[in-house]
Amino acid sequence: MKKQLTIALAGNPNCGKTTIFNNLTGARQKVGNWPGVTVEKKEGSMIHGDYELKIVDLPGTYSLTPFSIEEITARDFIINEHPDIVVNIIDASNLERSLFLAIQILELGRPALFVLNMADVARARGIKIDEKKLSMLMGLPVVFTVGNKNRGTDRLVEAAIEEIARFDEGKKTRQIRYSNEIENCISKIEKMIPDTGDSFEGLTRWIAIKILEDDKIIKARLAQLYPGAADDILNTAQECRNRIYRLFEDEFEIVLTDDRYGVIAGIVKETVSSLGTTRMDISRNIDLVLTDKFLGIPVFIFFIWAMFQLTFSLGAYPMEWLQAGVSLLSDNIDKLMPASFFKDLLLNGIIAGIGSVVIFLPNILILFFCIALFEDTGYMARAAFLMDRVMHTSGLHGKSFIPMLMGFGCNVPAIMATRTLENEKDRILTILMTPFMSCSARLPVYIVLAGTFFAGRAGTVIFGLYFTGILVAILSGRIFKTLLFKGQDAPFIMELPPYRMPMLKSLVIHMWDRSKMFLKKMTGVILIGSVFIWVLSNFPAASVDTDGRFDMLMNNIRSDYAVKIAHAENKQAAATLKQELETELTILENKKEQQKVAQSYIGRIGKFLGPLFRPIGIQWQSSVALVTGFVAKEVVVSTMGVLYGVGHNGGKALEKALKRSGMTPLSALSMMVFVLLYVPCFATVSMIYRETSAKWAGFNLLYTTVVAWTMSFLVYRTGMILGFG
Amino acid sequence: MTHTHEQEKKQFQRLFRNQGVDQLDARFRVLEAFLTLEHHVTIDDIMDRVASAGDRMDRGFVLSTMELLCRFGFASKRQFNVNDIQYEHRHLGLHHDHMVCTKCGRILEFRDEAIEKLQLKLADAYGFLMLQHKMEIYGICSECLAKRSDVVPLHKAKTGEKLIVNSVISGKNMQVRLSSMGLKTGDMIEVVSSGFGGQVVIAAGDNRMVVGKGMAEKIMVQPFGPMKRAGHIEEDSQAEASLPPVKLSQMKTGQEGIIRKVSGRSILRRRLLEMGINRGTKIYVEKYAPLKDPIELVVKGYHISLRVEEAANILVDNVRFKQK
Repeated sequence: MKKQLTIALAGNPNCGKTTIFNNLTGARQKVGNWPGVTVEKKEGSMIHGDYELKIVDLPGTYSLTPFSIEEITARDFIINEHPDIVVNIIDASNLERSLFLAIQILELGRPALFVLNMADVARARGIKIDEKKLSMLMGLPVVFTVGNKNRGTDRLVEAAIEEIARFDEGKKTRQIRYSNEIENCISKIEKMIPDTGDSFEGLTRWIAIKILEDDKIIKARLAQLYPGAADDILNTAQECRNRIYRLFEDEFEIVLTDDRYGVIAGIVKETVSSLGTTRMDISRNIDLVLTDKFLGIPVFIFFIWAMFQLTFSLGAYPMEWLQAGVSLLSDNIDKLMPASFFKDLLLNGIIAGIGSVVIFLPNILILFFCIALFEDTGYMARAAFLMDRVMHTSGLHGKSFIPMLMGFGCNVPAIMATRTLENEKDRILTILMTPFMSCSARLPVYIVLAGTFFAGRAGTVIFGLYFTGILVAILSGRIFKTLLFKGQDAPFIMELPPYRMPMLKSLVIHMWDRSKMFLKKMTGVILIGSVFIWVLSNFPAASVDTDGRFDMLMNNIRSDYAVKIAHAENKQAAATLKQELETELTILENKKEQQKVAQSYIGRIGKFLGPLFRPIGIQWQSSVALVTGFVAKEVVVSTMGVLYGVGHNGGKALEKALKRSGMTPLSALSMMVFVLLYVPCFATVSMIYRETSAKWAGFNLLYTTVVAWTMSFLVYRTGMILGFG
Repeated sequence: MTHTHEQEKKQFQRLFRNQGVDQLDARFRVLEAFLTLEHHVTIDDIMDRVASAGDRMDRGFVLSTMELLCRFGFASKRQFNVNDIQYEHRHLGLHHDHMVCTKCGRILEFRDEAIEKLQLKLADAYGFLMLQHKMEIYGICSECLAKRSDVVPLHKAKTGEKLIVNSVISGKNMQVRLSSMGLKTGDMIEVVSSGFGGQVVIAAGDNRMVVGKGMAEKIMVQPFGPMKRAGHIEEDSQAEASLPPVKLSQMKTGQEGIIRKVSGRSILRRRLLEMGINRGTKIYVEKYAPLKDPIELVVKGYHISLRVEEAANILVDNVRFKQK
């Protein structure tokens, strides 16, 4: 039996934590969410000698204040899960800022180890760090690594195991001392905290500091644990805070932060010497072009265009292959299995349903490869830097631009792309706005309707629709911001990390992690959903043709024509008759389909909702089509084809049928606006559910419906008043 | 000088007689003795001179005479921080200022027209009518400076001296303790006060700390080069005088400065501090985004971006264009 140890990796964003994690764990890793929050959690394992090491990648943070989920998650893990050691990964070229987090980790009193990563970059920049002195000053081991070349990883593991052993023998973390006033406050509170040996054990100093920093979470927990003593402690803490405020004219936490930087400045001065040969700053030179006043935005647009092209144009080929694969599979099953209820479910329900999601996989793989490329090189931060001004007008973060843009391709990967946003509010807001970006599946609907009713100006109309979508998204963002996400925005303070050469391994791991999650999560929900929709659209199927009326009619016609053809005068006449037979059969077939859809549950729902659609000029056929559009937006066209009696592949016939049906250009426009804005497809809604919560998914359903109806109503009624009806 | 001295003697006799001062002759001899002495003299110096002229006078009488001389404007009393009360000649229409060596107590007289003019100008700027002024510069005279060894332990340093920490001769523990206080080799410190039982109060940056005698003996300090220091002062005072603090959001591309204050909401302030934007840090405006918002900044050697509205919470001193 090997001894099990847990190692937690902590560090700033962009310090190369993930690279080290990948080096340590290789492919043996699990990606998930931290319980209760949507912060990515990575866990992996490795064997080293007699030890089995569980390695947990904590979210990247700059501090351990309780202001963001990432920070709380990291801190709770260290306190509650008691990892055997916290390995703090430090960007060696940026020691001063990294130590700010490091000191806070030390204060948690767990065994810790410093890893000075990117030692090569630091050296190239002319920074020399005296690791022996640093180790002496901080009282813990210090290891150098070069993550992207996998150097020093073994040493890291060994040092970690040694340090754990040292703590087992009774070593204690070195305390960082602050200025006298601060120390007086801390010791005053420390003495008041009862020593009862629970989860707070050995953390009294840390707790004292947190209480003085007015940390709501710790204060609440204190009140819970020691109902008696808590009030006293909190009062004393308040007195101390007031005293500090009088002395320094600033809040305790600010004074403490200043103090921490004082300590850090001392350590940095002692341990870092500059070699004076600073090499040319390559990142700055790259930025001369990439964030240039004039070139920045065009270059950005080019990159985004390239990403879009790769995702949707290049992705279209493998998408076709997958589609072909899916149809090949269903064809074979069709041939092999006898007709049965189960066969229909399998073919039209399960395989069609899952198939419709799996075909997105190439898009998602490419998209995430591009996003990983942007993130790993450091361009993502520049993109946010460039676009923040635009996005901020609707209360979003600069990074929201990419998901929003991807929404024009397909909302599903777009919503997944919001994972690049660190702030939960920003993420939810972006997710809620993304569905208004008109996805490519909505385009066929516009093409048919606009093509039919606005022949010459179809392009303008479609462009107008896209534009309306953007406008509604921006307005919605503003409304959400003021109504749902009241309070202040998270400050936009973002590091622009130096450009780095991306590593293929890490790109692939990033891409695969997220795509895997997509497949895993989607299949479950989609499977259930597909079956459900299949049931809705096929039942009560039995009622349609139990009496075999259509079959009988068709058989009659067939035999009629068989006789006619047999008596045909010549070959030409026979061919004409055959064609006539085909047409007759198709008409019947279409009628059968029409009846089937109209009588199915989904059709009944559509008809039932008909009265709701009437005020916005949409007939019952179209309303049924809209309901079936929940499966996927392209389905709207084929359902309309069926319901207007021209079959699945309507084409020109559908255009004629639509014109005959009494639909006017105005009601067509109203319908298009509705298609643009209403409930996104089933896959998108389940993605929203997965990325946020049932609450937000439900909200999205409701909100989009209301917005779509209102907008269509406005369009239709205004048109009527202006006399376009 | 002899001319002015003769003139003063005459004035003395007329004035003192008019005022009906007693023991005129004896007092006159005190004046004569005082006038033969130059520069700054103590009561004892005058007593010695009187005695060498063959007179015997008691200390109280000399003291009261000197008080009278001061009252009538023949002498002026000086008390420099380091010495006993001293008297110097007060010649009408002639003014000078002093430099006092805190080590040997030597007093240098000087007069600088620029300073005199500057004082008047300054007073005028504040709408203040200047009647008189006293200017005393404390320091170490050139002789003492020459004698003094470069590196001394901190407890030997004089109040007001600006020094650089040269080294710390001590064990690991104290070094750790000192660096956690924010004091390390190469730091510039100022001695705020010293001499109270060996305790030294020093200022390092904005921090004030007390160093006990034992510790002070182990901290070796060396003076900040006087010329360099002078240059530094000039540069600083010029920058400060001519440039008021500026909001970060108003700074232009290519400017740099020192952060003076970070204000705003608590969460914003903390975020900024966490990212290393704290008081006293040098900040450089790399560029503005093409749409004029956000700003790209360089702090502590890394690049960071900040919205303009948030940058308005940061006040920056010494703003100037970075020299390439």
